[in-house]
Amino acid sequence: MDSNLAHIHLLLNHFPTIGFAIGFILLVIGTIVKNEEIKHASLVILFLIALIAIPTYLSGPAALDKICERVSGQVVCPPGLSLTLIQEHEDWALFAFSVMEVTGFIAWLGLWQMRRTPKLGTANLAAVLLLGAISFGLMAVAANKGGDIRHPEIQSEQAIQMAKDGTRVPIARAIGNFVIAKTWVWPTCESLHFVGLSLLFVAVLFVNLRVLGIGKSLAFSSVYQFLPLGLIGFGVNLVTGMMFFLASPQQYIHNVEFHRKIVFVLLCGVNVLYFMLFDKAWRVKAGEDAPISSKVAAAISIYLWIGVLYYGEMLPFLGNSF
Amino acid sequence: MNEFLQNIEQSGFASWVRESPSIFAFPSILLVHTIGMGIVAGISGGINLRILGMAPAIKLAPLQRFLPVLWFGFWVNAITGTMLLTSDVSLKLHNPDFYIKMAFIAISLILLRIMRNDVFGSPEAETGKFSTRSKMLAWASLFCWLVVITSGRLLAYVGNYSNLK
Repeated sequence: MDSNLAHIHLLLNHFPTIGFAIGFILLVIGTIVKNEEIKHASLVILFLIALIAIPTYLSGPAALDKICERVSGQVVCPPGLSLTLIQEHEDWALFAFSVMEVTGFIAWLGLWQMRRTPKLGTANLAAVLLLGAISFGLMAVAANKGGDIRHPEIQSEQAIQMAKDGTRVPIARAIGNFVIAKTWVWPTCESLHFVGLSLLFVAVLFVNLRVLGIGKSLAFSSVYQFLPLGLIGFGVNLVTGMMFFLASPQQYIHNVEFHRKIVFVLLCGVNVLYFMLFDKAWRVKAGEDAPISSKVAAAISIYLWIGVLYYGEMLPFLGNSF
Repeated sequence: MNEFLQNIEQSGFASWVRESPSIFAFPSILLVHTIGMGIVAGISGGINLRILGMAPAIKLAPLQRFLPVLWFGFWVNAITGTMLLTSDVSLKLHNPDFYIKMAFIAISLILLRIMRNDVFGSPEAETGKFSTRSKMLAWASLFCWLVVITSGRLLAYVGNYSNLK
């Protein structure tokens, strides 16, 4: 499984660079030619790439475990591979990933707003352009560093010395050590993870249950206004979830329940696009019954989110997490 | 009293919840309890946030239709919560955190009742412009659910706790 994950990392890592570049360039073109449809398409791409960036980042430590060994807690890489360069790659990847998620979040808000008013707001456009450019720059450095991993001859004298001294602590490890060392951080993040889940459920319940027929006197376009609360809840859980992952990546990358949870999270991300991009649900007025295809999408949404909860809950019981 | 609690804890059912390797024991009961939490806090939270001005296109009155869903989640959690409680009742009942959680659930339910009577039935539910009192009730309700969720999660970490999480 781990070797598969390493391959997944090598496969996925092209998306945040090339895919994001395509989305970003489309947005620039859309802005220049003032075409809202091109902008709309680019926001969809940027959101989807931000989603794919999640498993790309999370599979990184599995790729490390594939090429290097752990000897009594220390990572030992074979000759021809530089741990320093791997750590630099990981640092830049974390920066790039963080900014890319914020970009994806704002791109999603733009899409959400475009459902109601066809023109993308100036503030949203400016934010996505600025953050998108930063994300792409950071991701390009991360990708470049990743490519350098098999070229230890290019590392600086200083870097080699720091690796020998063991003085270089990668940022991901520093955050992870903080989560482990301070006993209050883990329970606090867990509590916030549950608060985020509840916020996510505001959107999941009201939107999907309305489509399924509860509270029919509400037009779909009104409950649609709850969707951003769900995304905020998702954001809280992405940040707190990353804290758990950085604290102990080993217990997640070797845990098949975690892999399944992430797959379900990605499917949830695709599912929400159905309600944002297609017109069938959007046209459901107050008092009207939703069409069967929308009901199926709503039922799938509830199934997927319960799946996310199931795999999350089972991490310690079926998998090896604590 | 302690003997009584230990008898409950040593019962076949409580031992099964606590010790069975089956995923239908502790893990699934906790999963259903978590889903129930999402339903109760999600529905109540949505109503509170609407009163506080979010999602202005939503009329408050039709949100009453979601209250039976909330109550469904509540009773599911009352049942699963009791099942979880039996598994280490002597520890839980000596943990102040447990009483904080129970007290805030009680306050949340009282707030919900007041809101159903005073806010849902009032003219402000139609106009969508809510009085300061209604908004204070909504803030109080949000705060109470926040305490319930946090104190519930912390049961695995503070006071006398078992290894069950």
